[in-house]
Amino acid sequence: MRVASQTIARQGVEAMQKLSAELARTQRQISSGRRMLSPSDDPAGSAQALALTRAIEQTGQHQRNAEIARNRLALEEEVMIGVGNILQRVRELALQANNATQTDETRGFIAAEVREMLDELYQLSNTRDSEDHYLFAGYSVRTQPFVRDAAGVQYRGDQGQRLLQIGQDRQIADGDSGARVFQLIRNGNGVFTTTANTANTGTGVIDEGSVVDPSLLVPDTYTVNFTTATDYEVLDSSAAVVASGTYADGNAISFNGIQFSISGQPAAGDSFTISPSVNRDVFAMLEDLITTLETGTFNETGRARLTNEVNTALTDLDRAIGHVLEVRTLVGARLSAIETQQDNNEGLTLQLKETLSGIQDLDYAEALTRLNQQLGVLEAAQQSFVRVQNLSLFNFL
Amino acid sequence: MADILRTAMTGLVAFQRALSTTGHNISNANTQGYSRQRVDFISRIPQPSGGGFIGSGTQVRTVERIYNAFVSGELMAANSAHSRLDAFYTLAARMDDMLADPQAGLSPSLQAFFNAVQDVADDPASIPARQTLLSEAEALADRFQSLGRGFAEVNEQVNERVKASVDHINSLAEGIAKLNDEIVRLSGGFGQPPNDLLDQRDMLLRELSQEIDVSTLVQDDGAINVFIGNGQTLVIGSQTNVLKAAGNVFNPTSMDVVFPGPAGNTVITSQLKGGALGGVLDFRREILDPARNALGRVALSVAETVNAQHREGMDLNGQLGLDLFAVGPPQVLPESGNTGTASVTAAVSDVGALTTADYVLSYDGVNYTLARADTGAAVPMTGSGSVADPFVAEGLSIVVGAGAAAGDRFSIQPTRTAANGFKTLISDPARIAAAAPVRTLAAAGNMGDGVVSAGEVIDSTDPNLLSPVTIQFTSPTTYSINGAGSFPYTPQSDIDVNGVRVQIDGAPATGDIFTIEANTGGVGDNRNALLMGVLPTTDILDGGTASFQDGYGRLVAQVGSATRQADVNLQAQSIVLSNAELAQESTSGVNLDEEAANLIRFQQSYQAAAQLIGVVDELFQTLMSTVRR
Repeated sequence: MRVASQTIARQGVEAMQKLSAELARTQRQISSGRRMLSPSDDPAGSAQALALTRAIEQTGQHQRNAEIARNRLALEEEVMIGVGNILQRVRELALQANNATQTDETRGFIAAEVREMLDELYQLSNTRDSEDHYLFAGYSVRTQPFVRDAAGVQYRGDQGQRLLQIGQDRQIADGDSGARVFQLIRNGNGVFTTTANTANTGTGVIDEGSVVDPSLLVPDTYTVNFTTATDYEVLDSSAAVVASGTYADGNAISFNGIQFSISGQPAAGDSFTISPSVNRDVFAMLEDLITTLETGTFNETGRARLTNEVNTALTDLDRAIGHVLEVRTLVGARLSAIETQQDNNEGLTLQLKETLSGIQDLDYAEALTRLNQQLGVLEAAQQSFVRVQNLSLFNFL
Repeated sequence: MADILRTAMTGLVAFQRALSTTGHNISNANTQGYSRQRVDFISRIPQPSGGGFIGSGTQVRTVERIYNAFVSGELMAANSAHSRLDAFYTLAARMDDMLADPQAGLSPSLQAFFNAVQDVADDPASIPARQTLLSEAEALADRFQSLGRGFAEVNEQVNERVKASVDHINSLAEGIAKLNDEIVRLSGGFGQPPNDLLDQRDMLLRELSQEIDVSTLVQDDGAINVFIGNGQTLVIGSQTNVLKAAGNVFNPTSMDVVFPGPAGNTVITSQLKGGALGGVLDFRREILDPARNALGRVALSVAETVNAQHREGMDLNGQLGLDLFAVGPPQVLPESGNTGTASVTAAVSDVGALTTADYVLSYDGVNYTLARADTGAAVPMTGSGSVADPFVAEGLSIVVGAGAAAGDRFSIQPTRTAANGFKTLISDPARIAAAAPVRTLAAAGNMGDGVVSAGEVIDSTDPNLLSPVTIQFTSPTTYSINGAGSFPYTPQSDIDVNGVRVQIDGAPATGDIFTIEANTGGVGDNRNALLMGVLPTTDILDGGTASFQDGYGRLVAQVGSATRQADVNLQAQSIVLSNAELAQESTSGVNLDEEAANLIRFQQSYQAAAQLIGVVDELFQTLMSTVRR
């Protein structure tokens, strides 16, 4: 085949240009550490890389969200521990106050301590976080949730609960509203409460009672009336007699699935009320206890009143302690869920990063080998070009 | 003896010609498009004598151009295909680069914006978090705009290239027509081919084929006719038809190529193939326009969905959310030849149904019909086109005014300029609607264990949205709303009141009250921000099968794979072109060694012929000395 002189030069230059371009590309890959320099290098891979980068970023955001939720819940847990301790202490004080060795004066001291506890509880219920936002105000984080007035402690927050996104399909509450934590505590035994009429003249003491057969339960307000010191009848809210009997100290009285017992010596005309449980707040419980402790006992009847009221307070406090424990457990469960989710997120991130690296990162060993090879080939092309170009018959004329 | 001398003379003259042709070849060894020439010798008519014919030397028959029409045609075709891919690839690679940078592409800004939304959800009352969200929204708008601007600049570049190409084609056609004229004149005058002019004309043709695919027809008189597109005559003999670049009938910002035919001007853009011009036009049709539409669709869907969610929220001032973003609206462009006066407007009615296509709306005097601009496929529309009942098709709602004339046409580009008009509308961080406008609560006196959901806005335009609503249970299985009606209670079923949806679960007792109220002071509420935060992972586009990021990822992959394909084809075509050039050079190119050999050969022949004169002289002297004696 004929070869034109131009061809030799052109092909030589073209080959060197092509090799230089490849070399420059390898060099760019090495300096950037990326296998793909533009989407056209691997269109499917680059779309995948975009999706993976997005997923990594998003998981990072979920981790940040989880961290924030964790911090807030940790703070809530701390507050709940404080609340639990206060209620435990108040319970001990109530038990102590019911002791027969106490006098009105010592009970006054106990009442003062309970008042201290109430103040502390009030402080805790208005806890603020590092951002100066109220922890227990629901959505209204700039509104002080618990405010004291003549009628007691009022809730000014709302029942909102904020959720944070801690995983692709996982949201978690970063707190609880003050209503949920400090209010809405079912009193009595959870179904009904027992109270003695404050005008009772006898020394009858009623216990908290229990539900023995839920299927027979008819929620209503019942009154136990002592017609004589030994006979009683139970009336419902429409004054119909649902049960009656002869009183024996400490014996159980039961009707409509409800059972309780009265001990001591009730007088004729004394009455006790069984009413359905209602939601109370923990502040009112403490206020009631303080009032009870600050009221003088004077005589046996007074003692019985004290015992009945302290019993009610203890029952309520047990409910409150249980309630706080429940919230704490819930917070703990959320914290552990967050931890699990954070572990998952971390694992996911690692896996995503690995996949992404496989798609877009450069295999340096391969690239450096390639670079050496290309350098060698280019040098050879340059040398051979010079030698071939120097060949000419004219050199010999 | 005189005949020997004449024979020697013919040799001297012929070899001189040969030497000068060799010199011509050597001088043109590097001339682009030069075909080597060869002197064709032929022996002269012999002298008859008694003993037969005596040769009378040589003569030059012609100076031949070493040229192969087939090889040359191959080279032109290869050139045309190569230039097309080269132009296509160069532009596509520019788009590819715009989308490539992991820092400069859209994806990081989009993610950063939605991350900022989640940061606000983490701490909705925090002004710094809200400020960051606004900055990220600005950055996102900036990114959309700069990508949109970048694509628009590429469009400008395409227009410039079309104009430049058309000018170049016209000037090449002019040159070919002139050469045609001279070639016809010279070959007629001397009866010999004007080799160097033919080479020049071939060069022009080759250059022309780099701009556009051409077909040629050689006439008997040596002139060559040139055709483009579907047989439009560019050059006929010494005449040319001058092409023009003009704005599209719908869209003046898009250049078309117009051919001045006998029946008036015709747009031949779609008929042009190959060459740089073909490549540029293919690029615009296959990559640029779809990419602009795809980007616009992402912009539009981000703005529309974020806005819709934002409007359902409440800001720090207790106001309902406003639109956070604005985008360029769908473009309706009337054809320049429309005779009617009707105005047509288009709006997006359903982001999920939106495509990346452009449409043409035509009026036949009675009915409007819609068709895809690229394929011409009819698109069914519902509605009557009035404001109350607009035409609805593929996520668009179209309202047509009165006054359209039969034959009027409108181009509808739903998403082409959406990204360019993407901007943020809110600058006050307090106006970010992170909260929901309403909240729910269960009354403290509730005896049952029913719980109410946090509530969700389903119609933020309801005038009574913020009015308090009381849901009271009149029995464990029925409830009244605001004291009226009696509705059966099903746990977890939707209760929709005043544009708000709540669910109640559990067993409420008679008399239990649940309230929906305005979220006054609810600055710590993040429900709306949370809903906005999950938008990027929600499948919204393409009928709910693709997220924003998927939409953008597809755009990147599309441009990437088209660029890659062009690159691969360009590599292949480079080899084809190289081979065609090799074949052409192999036939017509100058080899200096060959010319050096010819130089020696013709020099020796010349010397031999000169020697012959010496011999004649000696013979003559011999004869003279014999006679003198």
